[in-house]
Amino acid sequence: MYNLWRFILKHHFVILFILLEVISILLLARSQNFHRNRVVNTTNDAVGQVYEWSSEVGNYFRLNKTNQDLAEENAWLRQQLAMTTDTTRSFFDIEGRDTIYEYIPAQVVNNSIGQANNYIIINKGRADGIERDMGVISSDGIVGVVADVSRHYASILSLLHSHSVVGVRFKNNQELGSLKWGNNNYRYGIVEDIPAHVVLQEGDTVLTSSYSFIFPEDLMVGTVEESRPISSGALNTAKIRFATDFATLRYVYVIHNLHKPELDSLKANFQ
Amino acid sequence: MNKTALQILRFVVLVLFQVLVINHIRLGGYVHPCIYLIFIMLLPVYIPNWQLLLLGFGLGFSVDLFTGTPGLHAGATTLMAFCRPSIIRLISGTQKFENIHEPNLDQLDGMWFLRYTICMVFVHHFALFFLESFSFHLIGQILLRILISVPISVFLIMMILYIFKANKKGERR
Repeated sequence: MYNLWRFILKHHFVILFILLEVISILLLARSQNFHRNRVVNTTNDAVGQVYEWSSEVGNYFRLNKTNQDLAEENAWLRQQLAMTTDTTRSFFDIEGRDTIYEYIPAQVVNNSIGQANNYIIINKGRADGIERDMGVISSDGIVGVVADVSRHYASILSLLHSHSVVGVRFKNNQELGSLKWGNNNYRYGIVEDIPAHVVLQEGDTVLTSSYSFIFPEDLMVGTVEESRPISSGALNTAKIRFATDFATLRYVYVIHNLHKPELDSLKANFQ
Repeated sequence: MNKTALQILRFVVLVLFQVLVINHIRLGGYVHPCIYLIFIMLLPVYIPNWQLLLLGFGLGFSVDLFTGTPGLHAGATTLMAFCRPSIIRLISGTQKFENIHEPNLDQLDGMWFLRYTICMVFVHHFALFFLESFSFHLIGQILLRILISVPISVFLIMMILYIFKANKKGERR
């Protein structure tokens, strides 16, 4: 016992070092393997509050750009509204499909794009009806999925995350694929699992598919930048440019699917 | 000002400056400059080893709380703290530290400090980027990120140290 104690005292520097490194790696591994990379204890209100103070200062310098973006979005919404009221048979099925989604506006208080796994923190939380696994969009396109919620804040698993996967569809030919980030640049993502016979043009629009319970169908995702045929397999990949500019993200909408409990119970039945 | 109070203030200011300002520098998304390591660099030379490690871990973990990556910065700063005594010994050669309390620019020359900063930043970034990708299969990209981020971090750290050296007549951080 005495010898053990002496050994520990003599090598305490190395032992403590190894201990702390093991703790770090365990914490890191846990956060990587957790369901949807749940951020443990990090979306707490204190951190959110600090980010919100800092974001309030920054907001004044961006008012001009923000106004412009909101005006553009407004114009687009008015146009959609005109389309639905002018025609007798509405373009959007107002009574049916679209009303199952509720949009909760939120402001981005912190956002990263330079890491291998990026998260966004917004200033709405459990108290505002935000729950995990809700989809998040901006006025330009989809942004990510809610990963963790505290009382007044939520963290979002951004599309710029190595574990992010979203089902997408090409507008021209209705073919499906799955969108990943590919871990390089914040402007581009990779669509995988595209059948080899599909011909893609540069600039083709990529939308969300109807198979996702997180995002409504036909939301803007991005445009094709280049198609990369793979000689070996039957499935191609394509590089796409995100419609959302993650570097300047300020305002987002969290999507609440009102039918989600119903869908979840259905899924639970066959699992 | 009291030495302990000074260290605590430095800790808080550096962490906040890192997560609120520096983390928003993004040149194409490859760069991840880190300046919060100044705290570990400026700790007293003869600080007990266990304190050095615990402070390193605590510093990294504080940044992790803000970036939502538990264990990532903590692992990198712990390694850096572990290497610090060896780095100081390695680059000092015969130079003695008998009457120097903290390594700072007032008592040590700029070249010594530049070498010290480069070594510390390199160890930190190396650990950080490998822990971040959690694998070796993106090695080319990791090396590229190290190659870009290290000079930027070193430049920022040296700049901050010189700014505060110039202001030393007034209140010190």
